[in-house]
Amino acid sequence: MSRRRLLRTTALGAFAGLAGSQLDTQLAFAADPAYSGDVLVLLSLRGGFDGLSAVVPAGDPAYYAARPTIGVPKAQLIGGGTFFGLHPALAPLLPYWTAGSLAAVHAVGQPAPNRSHFSAMEELERAAPGTSIRTGWLSRMLGSLGANDPFDAIAMGTARPARLLGGPAPYLSLTSIDGLALTGDDAAKPVAATMAALYQGAPAALAQTAGQLTGALERGRELRTAGYTPANGAAYPATELGAALRDVARLIKADAGLMTATVDSGDWDMHENLGIAAPGRRMHDQLSKLAAAIAAFATDLGSEGLRRVTLVTISEFGRRVTQNGSAGLDHGYGNAMFVLGGGVRGGQVYGTWPGLGAAQLRDGDLAVTTDYRAVIGEILRARCEVGDLSTVFPGVAASSLGLVTAR
Amino acid sequence: MSVFEQLLQRRTALGGAAAAGVATVLATGTPAHADTEFHATVEPGVEFPSDPAADLLPADPLLHLLRRATYGPSPASIAEIRKLGPAAWLDRQLNPATIADPVADELLARLPLAGLSIAEIRARVAAGQLKQYDWTPMWQLSFAAPARAIWSERQLYEVMVDFWANHLNVTCPYGDVWDSRTDYDRAVLRKHALGTFADLLKASARHPAMLTYLDNRFSTRLAPNENYGRELMELHTVGLEYGEADVKDAAKLLTGLTVDTATGAYRYDAAGHVAGAVTILGFSHDNATTTGGEAAALAFLDYLALHPSTARRIVTKLCVRFVADEPPASLVTKLVKVYLDNRSAIVPVLRALFTSDEFAGSAGAKTRTPLEDLAATVRILGYGPPPSGTKTFESLYWMARNAGQAPMYWGPPNGYPDVAAAWASPSGLLVRWNFHLSVAAGYWPADLVKPADLLTGMIGARPATYAALIDATAERLLGVRLGPAQTAALAGFYGKTPASPLKSNDPAVGWLYPYLIGMLLNSPNFALR
Repeated sequence: MSRRRLLRTTALGAFAGLAGSQLDTQLAFAADPAYSGDVLVLLSLRGGFDGLSAVVPAGDPAYYAARPTIGVPKAQLIGGGTFFGLHPALAPLLPYWTAGSLAAVHAVGQPAPNRSHFSAMEELERAAPGTSIRTGWLSRMLGSLGANDPFDAIAMGTARPARLLGGPAPYLSLTSIDGLALTGDDAAKPVAATMAALYQGAPAALAQTAGQLTGALERGRELRTAGYTPANGAAYPATELGAALRDVARLIKADAGLMTATVDSGDWDMHENLGIAAPGRRMHDQLSKLAAAIAAFATDLGSEGLRRVTLVTISEFGRRVTQNGSAGLDHGYGNAMFVLGGGVRGGQVYGTWPGLGAAQLRDGDLAVTTDYRAVIGEILRARCEVGDLSTVFPGVAASSLGLVTAR
Repeated sequence: MSVFEQLLQRRTALGGAAAAGVATVLATGTPAHADTEFHATVEPGVEFPSDPAADLLPADPLLHLLRRATYGPSPASIAEIRKLGPAAWLDRQLNPATIADPVADELLARLPLAGLSIAEIRARVAAGQLKQYDWTPMWQLSFAAPARAIWSERQLYEVMVDFWANHLNVTCPYGDVWDSRTDYDRAVLRKHALGTFADLLKASARHPAMLTYLDNRFSTRLAPNENYGRELMELHTVGLEYGEADVKDAAKLLTGLTVDTATGAYRYDAAGHVAGAVTILGFSHDNATTTGGEAAALAFLDYLALHPSTARRIVTKLCVRFVADEPPASLVTKLVKVYLDNRSAIVPVLRALFTSDEFAGSAGAKTRTPLEDLAATVRILGYGPPPSGTKTFESLYWMARNAGQAPMYWGPPNGYPDVAAAWASPSGLLVRWNFHLSVAAGYWPADLVKPADLLTGMIGARPATYAALIDATAERLLGVRLGPAQTAALAGFYGKTPASPLKSNDPAVGWLYPYLIGMLLNSPNFALR
């Protein structure tokens, strides 16, 4: 038997329970009663998020020296303590910061600098440097929680698979819930059921996707029939991120059995004209849209819904401390993360600040003092019922920042 | 014996051996052409993996070549390759200038801004015919993409333009390249698509669209911007072999390659160049003067283009596009040599690729991406473009966008992924299933030119039974018949069995016939390339 044949056969075995019409049956009542942890919402800020603009170390004089034209002036910062302050465009999130359900962690990142978007993202999502593991860490988390239903994990807002979720655990990538409908399919014209039969015996890679789709269409019908109006007057911005978070909230409130959801926010790669902290400038407007979408999500969930949700932002790397000749920032290292949720001890910036003095930088970049996996590990342990981190983040211990309360 | 005769033999041997599990056996298969004599031989010790996916495809090497080197077989292209034979067909495709392309030419004439140069766009702005920062030219280029993919006779050329558009990605539409993106398509990608990679790379490096997209136009002597230098090495040439010192020196060396803001044209600005010796990935240059900076940068680009690691990356990427998601190492090694021996000329590499044993043995190893699926759908249906207007092209563009692969729309500089795993999502599949029915039935776009009678236009006279209807339609669209279980499932859709007689007033041959077409295009057979 060739190696390829062996791999295919193995894959087929792993997904045997999900093929074709069997999936239909499984999906009918899929909510997993065994899981009562938080829904982990992972918001990926793609392109290299500048944590130093978002969570500004105003108390570090080197910050303003390194960014003469794009540093955010102290007077404009909001939510500030004595050292850090938030970018003013994050104002929609200020109520959550003040109320203590939003926190930041600074000087976080990957264990080793990697300033290539593409390989840094892959490492970030694989989260097992120095090993031959090829799965995404979210898939490994789902495996440790015993997830068995594609609706346990959703990559929302994308027609493509999510690398974070790549692995044996089932999941769905959905452009939208309302779009989860097959043209012409109804009781008199059973297209989906016919397709399920047509894919019986197809190669595993094709059959798996088709089986997930034909199964998911039934749930899509239920959700569409139920309809959706955001609660508490939540107004999602008309952005892809807004639409995606709205659908995540919809699944959470529908008790669809969601354990985790991933959503993406792009366009953070600002090598030129990042701008001052004023409307119409790139960083300001990007942060503003980000904050509006997250705030709408939190408003929609309400305090009751937020109690079982933790949202975490990650990015492949931070930017250089010093601005470049085009008033932008090249690829750097250390970064900031945001954590929002009912169990968060918010209103403050966690982590160990390494300082921005020349001797404290790592190749000109903010040094990393906290492994992003340790931060997420703390959340997984305290909020998501993950007892043993070793399969999710091999060799990494959870941080003890006290970032979240135990459920 | 020609390589193509060998190709025919190899494919047949593989097809026959697949059922046996391992292809080290000698086998005879059904000849694809009655006039071709088969003496199937596979070298002892050469093991080809048995691949269940290959069994879903017709065992015809001409169709295999068409599926890979084009946006999908159309009835006309199938007739053409059967008439010319594979070698002459490939020769013709590798010389696109010799191929008359009247249909595509007429369609492109409806999108007159799609090919404008920077100077032409700026002249129109000056004349008040276009607004400053107008996106119309970029949209026209975007809408032209599906039209070209579907209806151009220069199929391999169009596939290669798309390949390079991904490799040297500059997102379209994108505000910062409003005046240069159409020119980039014309003067860089289309001009050099079948030339040498060295010329292509140097053209992209000095094009305002690339200089803008990866920020090199903003890179200055006082503070170099590292973005282009990094992606030039990582994505365009050698891959992840550089260190941070290489990035810094590359950024220095590339300063001065910029854009004239007055004209929007490329300009070398000696005053903005950082002089001083550089060492980058084994390339050393004294870079002694600011006036000599452009020549030094071009020498670096030539060095990169002919670097063995670049050769390996480019040919591997071509193999991923045309052969298999995990290309055979033997083929990559062979093509690296062809690439370097021909100083990065593309045509010899493609010729060696398409005539290789590895290519011949790769049936079933590629899955269509959403854009390929959409183009292949219209092509195999044989539907023509509407006699006037551009609405249909716009609709096709939005369909591709809904499926996650609008032409040239990928944001990051690495281009769309090209492997099945990157597209195997239920949501993406749903969009594809929906557009199969929509296109076949004419729901959207509504004005493609279809046969007056869909049934007779597809398969001729009405067959006597449901099985015969399904078989004839499957052969027409997929080149194969389905298995009995699949045929029964499709008959079951109509509430019938395969043996049920087919009456003239049955919906299956009337308003429900597009459903059969749609479901066959949804099949795993059509999903493969």
